[in-house]
Amino acid sequence: MGLQSCTKLSPFSIFNLPTTLNRFSNRFHHRLRSPPPLLVRALSSSTAAAPQPPTAAISDDAKVAQWKAAIDFKWIRDNKDAVAANIRARNSNANLQLVLELYDNMLNLQKVRLQEVERLRAERNVVANKMKAKLESSERQKLIEEGKNLKDVLVSLEEDLLKLTDELQQEAQCVPNMTHPDAPVGGEDCSTVRKVVGKPREFGFAIKDHVQLGKDLDIIDFDAASEVSGSKFYYLKNEAVLLEMGLVNWAVSEAMKRGFTPLTTPEIVRSSIVEKCGFQPRGNNTQVYSIVGSDQCLIGTAEIPVGGIHMDSILAEASLPLKYVAFSHCFRTEAGAAGTATRGLYRVHQFSKVEMFVLCRPEESDSFHEELISIEEDLFSSLGLHFNTLDMATEDLGAPAYRKFDVEAWMPGLGRYGEISSASNCTDYQSRRLGIRYRPGLSTPSKKGKGSSGVTQFVHTLNATACAVPRMLVCLLENYQQEDGTVIVPEPLRPFVGGLEVIDYKYR
Amino acid sequence: MGLQSCTKLSPFSIFNLPTTLNRFSYRFHHHLRSPPPLLVRALSSSSTAAAPQPPTAAISDDTKVAQWKAAIDFKWIRDNKEAVAANIRTRNSNANLQLVLELYDNMLNLQKVRLQEVERLRAERNVVANKMKAKLEPSERQKLIEEGKNLKDVLVSLEEDLLKLTDELQQEAQCVPNMTHPDAPVGGEDCSTVRKVVGKPREFGFAIKDHVQLGKDLDIIDFDAASEVSGSKFYYLKNEAVLLEMGLVNWAVSEVMKSGFTPLTTPEIVRSSIVQKCGFQPRGSNTQVYSIVGSDQCLIGTAEIPVGGIHMDSILAEASLPLKYVAFSHCFRTEAGAAGTATRGLYRVHQFSKVEMFVLCRPEESDSFHEELISIEEDLFSSLGLHFKTLDMATEDLGAPAYRKFDVEAWMPGLGRYGEISSASNCTDYQSRRLGIRYRPGPSTPSKKGKGSSGVTQFVHTLNATACAVPRMLVCLLENYQQEDGTVVVPEPLRPFVGGLEVIDYKYR
Repeated sequence: MGLQSCTKLSPFSIFNLPTTLNRFSNRFHHRLRSPPPLLVRALSSSTAAAPQPPTAAISDDAKVAQWKAAIDFKWIRDNKDAVAANIRARNSNANLQLVLELYDNMLNLQKVRLQEVERLRAERNVVANKMKAKLESSERQKLIEEGKNLKDVLVSLEEDLLKLTDELQQEAQCVPNMTHPDAPVGGEDCSTVRKVVGKPREFGFAIKDHVQLGKDLDIIDFDAASEVSGSKFYYLKNEAVLLEMGLVNWAVSEAMKRGFTPLTTPEIVRSSIVEKCGFQPRGNNTQVYSIVGSDQCLIGTAEIPVGGIHMDSILAEASLPLKYVAFSHCFRTEAGAAGTATRGLYRVHQFSKVEMFVLCRPEESDSFHEELISIEEDLFSSLGLHFNTLDMATEDLGAPAYRKFDVEAWMPGLGRYGEISSASNCTDYQSRRLGIRYRPGLSTPSKKGKGSSGVTQFVHTLNATACAVPRMLVCLLENYQQEDGTVIVPEPLRPFVGGLEVIDYKYR
Repeated sequence: MGLQSCTKLSPFSIFNLPTTLNRFSYRFHHHLRSPPPLLVRALSSSSTAAAPQPPTAAISDDTKVAQWKAAIDFKWIRDNKEAVAANIRTRNSNANLQLVLELYDNMLNLQKVRLQEVERLRAERNVVANKMKAKLEPSERQKLIEEGKNLKDVLVSLEEDLLKLTDELQQEAQCVPNMTHPDAPVGGEDCSTVRKVVGKPREFGFAIKDHVQLGKDLDIIDFDAASEVSGSKFYYLKNEAVLLEMGLVNWAVSEVMKSGFTPLTTPEIVRSSIVQKCGFQPRGSNTQVYSIVGSDQCLIGTAEIPVGGIHMDSILAEASLPLKYVAFSHCFRTEAGAAGTATRGLYRVHQFSKVEMFVLCRPEESDSFHEELISIEEDLFSSLGLHFKTLDMATEDLGAPAYRKFDVEAWMPGLGRYGEISSASNCTDYQSRRLGIRYRPGPSTPSKKGKGSSGVTQFVHTLNATACAVPRMLVCLLENYQQEDGTVVVPEPLRPFVGGLEVIDYKYR
């Protein structure tokens, strides 16, 4: 996946040799820790170059932060058959063999280093004692050089260890999340239908697609947007503006009723946050827009800035679950997407979206996944849409998703079903990268607070689309069109669009 | 200003020698015109005259930066040069009028010369063609052919010079700011005059908080998490602040719609040329504009830009004017060079929601639309119970596009001063000459630079005005409506738009 790895070693690693590498994800917050021991500081000057430099050119003043995911290498090793099977089922290009090799090498090297550290300490004492005696200057010089040589051996060991840790991170970050046992195995045609709501409406007249309706009713303008911005951009006009604002308001208020905390988020974020959520800002066919002269990107979904809110934190168990409903604009390059599935509003570079995001205890994520898909199904049913809920097959799960449910709604103008929503349970994939933990029992949160009492756990995170406006507009316009070319506004939305009931022609 | 100039010549320029250069702004749409005469095509191969001021930001090779021409009325500038010079002085602009006039003169002369050379070439070609009909020695024939080539080379070289000159002229002339309304106060920012005062500062009987403290105590704004995720001057809104943001947008759009404005949402990524045509500079060193890697696109700092672009390179029917839009968008600004106390909290941020009014109208109506726009703004802010002043901005504070500008500064008790919450500008024909937006007096159907034109087209006037910039409105509302117990009252007009919410309260007691 070509992700950058963190090159800083936690001070723990030298003295504790933990059996898991959980604590390696602690970001080195200089304001929370005392300066590291001299040994580590000497090492950080020899930052091993990451094997895969970013593909996009970054100007010199862009500071790209490197980070480490708190991957449980020991667990991977102890469950390597299951991990291998999972990689196969997902058609992932992760190299498990290499991960295990690098991990083994690293453990060995750590053992060696421990021995060398001890040896150095012993030798230093010997040298120090010898130095107390009266010595010839040449003898003194010889001792000093001996001491230096020992240190050099150690420095070189540390460099190797650093490089190894980087490679290990890089390879291990490619390993996808495990998969829910009930998830169908195979390609996209293996996804199963969990639920069907409604059926396609039967029209007694020749129907239009949303592009034609948008033009005839003067509510969508693609042509001017093409001149001003390029293809896959659009202006909404008149009632479509009311509909967009109404859909957002309605979706947010529906989620709030169900206990979600409303948020609006930054739409420009540091690229490291994008990576930690499981996206790739700098691949060839990246979906992510980058900003000139900085390490910042535009978000493709509010999942990213919301995931970032609690990064590098330890939450109190009592504060879980945290349930957010976030409204943001989203930006996607749609690089590599071509063909018929790009007409009109179906695939655009910029859109409004209301996103649900949950942080919870691991034992609860399955049930929150059910809750999220249930909320989505309620929302879409209440608007009278006909749709299928799919349990996505393993080859269609993104790397972060343990399980994913997609909702595909009937779009009569396009003559097929189109995805309007996706609900993913990412278990601890994102939280291990974002560094989001909780402490069972503790009732006050802390930013990696000291004086910890119990062992912290990683939270599970889930995300689900409450409303992606352009595709909802496709559904509403195409399904609710009438023979005379006007469009009816479904009842639940009317209070949110000032009572508007019908979208009519502007000129007759 | 370092703007890129268009290097393509309109075919008209060779054969018509118009007295104004209005038609030079025609974008060369290949799908509307037949291929240009051979002469012009030969020239366009030598047309990459380097613009004197290359962009300061690095653009990758695959980025195609379109070059464009503003339809500047050079003759008018020359005929009114004293007024133009005085205007440049009062605005403290760095435009070089002298150079503009020189270049214009040179260009006119060169055009005359070229016309003569074209004639000469035509005559000589005929002579040569006639001579060629006779039986000739090959050496004689060769000599004739070379003569013909030399004549052509002279012309080609002339055209190159003309092209370069036109570019330079464009570049300098684009720096000339808009003229100024006779009533606009002359001088620096302390010369701006107060047009209107509404309300007065509220008297608090208790120690007040600023919006940052209120945001924290009521758990409705988070700057810290945003700083980690995105950097400084970013923020999350939470809980009631989200309802307020959405409510403010809904309210502003619906209020302005009542005055006959057409609602719009717009792209927030646009080609950089559009940004320039509206009078902004995407590539200066202290640019306010974010650019996208690997393209010629930018993020908008205001909906004025994509709305201005809607009708670019068009001829509107007079009957369709005025066009009145109210546009909601997110806005992105680098705020490069902005430092100091005026950056705390929500006052100066990189990203915000804004509802913007934009009008395209006939020239004789722009003054009255300017009054209408400021009046709408004053109604909006009064209805929310805010105390504010409307200022007539002085000449040194007018941006290059603005003929006249009214700013509204509202009282922000937590900051202890007035802060700008809105701006209404009459840009007359400054933007429309760059965007190429004209109207044809009379007929009722618009056309995209339609042929078969009957009357002389005019440039529209454009105006823009902020209906609601959400973060600064939040500053005003939170700071002015706070109560002694730390809660905040929601002003009545907004309540229907926030689900009836009346008070923002503590989340935990």
